Amino acid sequence: MSTEIKILKQVLSKYSKPMTLTYPSGVAPDRRYSQIPEGLRGIPERDKDKCIGCRACYFVCSGRATSIYDKGEKRTVEIFLFRCTFCAHCQEACPEEAIKMTNKFEIAVPNREDPAARVLTELDLLKCKNCGTPYVTRKLVDRTYERLMEKIDPIVKETVSNDYKKLDGYCPDCRRAYGVDLDTHTKKYVWLEGV
Amino acid sequence: MVDLIFTVISLIVIVPLALFLGVIYSYLLRKLSARFQWRVGPMLRMYGDLKPLLGTTRLLQPLYDILKLYGKETIVPDVSRRRLFVYSPFLSLFFAVAAIFFIPFPGMPLLSGVPYSLIIASYLLIASILFTILGPVASGSPWAAIGARREVELFLVSELGFVLSLFAVAIARQSLVIWEISSGGQSLYLALLTVTAGALMFVAMLGKLHIKPFDMPEAEAEIVAGPYTEYSGKLLGTYYLTKVFLLYGLVALFISLFLPPIATDVLWLPLYIVAAVVLVFLLTSVQVLNPRYRIRNAINWYLKVAIPLGVLNFIIALAIWLVV
Amino acid sequence: MGIMDKARIYSPWLYHLHCGGCNGCDIETLAALAPRFDVERFGVQLVPSPRHADILLTTGCVPKQFIPMVKRIYEQVPAPKVVVAVGSCACGGSLFYDDAPENYAILGHPDLLIPVDVYVPGCAPKPEAIINGVVQGILKLAEKRSKK
Repeated sequence: MSTEIKILKQVLSKYSKPMTLTYPSGVAPDRRYSQIPEGLRGIPERDKDKCIGCRACYFVCSGRATSIYDKGEKRTVEIFLFRCTFCAHCQEACPEEAIKMTNKFEIAVPNREDPAARVLTELDLLKCKNCGTPYVTRKLVDRTYERLMEKIDPIVKETVSNDYKKLDGYCPDCRRAYGVDLDTHTKKYVWLEGV
Repeated sequence: MVDLIFTVISLIVIVPLALFLGVIYSYLLRKLSARFQWRVGPMLRMYGDLKPLLGTTRLLQPLYDILKLYGKETIVPDVSRRRLFVYSPFLSLFFAVAAIFFIPFPGMPLLSGVPYSLIIASYLLIASILFTILGPVASGSPWAAIGARREVELFLVSELGFVLSLFAVAIARQSLVIWEISSGGQSLYLALLTVTAGALMFVAMLGKLHIKPFDMPEAEAEIVAGPYTEYSGKLLGTYYLTKVFLLYGLVALFISLFLPPIATDVLWLPLYIVAAVVLVFLLTSVQVLNPRYRIRNAINWYLKVAIPLGVLNFIIALAIWLVV
Repeated sequence: MGIMDKARIYSPWLYHLHCGGCNGCDIETLAALAPRFDVERFGVQLVPSPRHADILLTTGCVPKQFIPMVKRIYEQVPAPKVVVAVGSCACGGSLFYDDAPENYAILGHPDLLIPVDVYVPGCAPKPEAIINGVVQGILKLAEKRSKK
């Protein structure tokens, strides 16, 4: 009985105000509305201008939520939120810092095909100069060139830079087929190494 | 003749009134226990921006629950004894409603003036609870069987306290008519009896209404939903309706027996409401402050506390009868 | 809108079905029912038996041994009913999702067995997200009635 009186005292001492948040009602930034902790990993958001379609997020995705597929002249980078574990691995892996975890959490959707269930980014593909097949995004080519130039051995830098510019605009198949015509065959690197 | 017409009218009026008051009491039980737990509970005034969707007030939340259950599909299990399973909720409701006809309300004596109305009312309340045991037993579910068995054990011990306190009052007041008891005067000795017998009745009410230390018949998460495991839709709604009427009936019986003359005249109505709210508040505070007993603990507790208290009641009642 | 339809929206009862998984979503679901996010404000109650429920709240991916139980519990909920799948496992299989070869023990999301009405992705979803899902479930419940 004494324990119960103790509990009753405790309950009544702080009994002035309920601690319930007013969640579905009210204004979002208000603290009484909802408590959003620092660093909450909510829906990932992809910056369309920054994304280069490099597949880095696809390779690290733990839940196999990210998929990349080419359709026509578009490359679609997709995160299917139904499989996403909100682990932010893609945010870490993205070389362009295009993916960012927001603190939005209201993601309830009525069906699988709902657009809100997917984070979609559509990128334009570059067409091959020779055969006209869409094969890669413009930004990926440029960024790869930049990064290549940063890290490459100074001996081969000029050659590679020239070759890269010659090859720009050809799809992998055409590069293989016209390697000799364009004078981009890898044999010359072997020769350089010998020097 | 006028009396007869008045009685008939009041009998018709009391059913919706009892339903309304029972709903308010159940709402209070839920709201107060929510506030004890530092949460809001069913909202008295809904948030402004949610009003169009969720309604302005939830004062009638228990009634909405019952109405919703009446609008749902009713499933009757194949293994159940169909007739008993289907009819017992309605019989339980019938007896609960019949019991409240014998309990006076301020301004409405109803049938509480008939001879032996105390015994009739207590029998009807017992019958109502009996059918909340019989229906589940017929459902064929093991969880319901366990729940019903616990209910029987609890019922036996809590009934003892209930009857002892009723008859202590009856002996002291020299009457088996509720109306005579509730319109009788007060004296110092009777006030003493009110305290002891009232405490015993309160304890018995805990067992009958399944308030927290004695809610093992419908122990959630332990034996699924206890007796009501197999009930759904209209039949469950009927049981909930019975619960509402029982809550009203027991509170009204308590007030009319132990706090005379509150339940007699219409002028006492505000005091009646205050007494009922205080009683519900006490029930709630017992509910939130206690964990669930095991059935053995509950029986031991009743035998250790309720029986000596009952005997004490009888001694006091006999002393009042013989001496005063 | 009749009083019955109103009552249906005002008192949705919830049955919590844990199919399998890591219990993260269950903890968040219980947090949504606890004083901090008290859903009893809107009349939502956690009921212990599926026969009393209006909303079936499933968490976790379904192991193959659990398939008959999921079906049976869904059938035990009296109509009209709504299923809310909470967590990425219950929505799309999450980490347990396998195209080919098929996982030997885990079937995947309960959507393959029972019709799910609202999906709440998240690993685990915030209690607020679960409340949001339940509210959408309530709206669907109201729709289901008006069709009849």
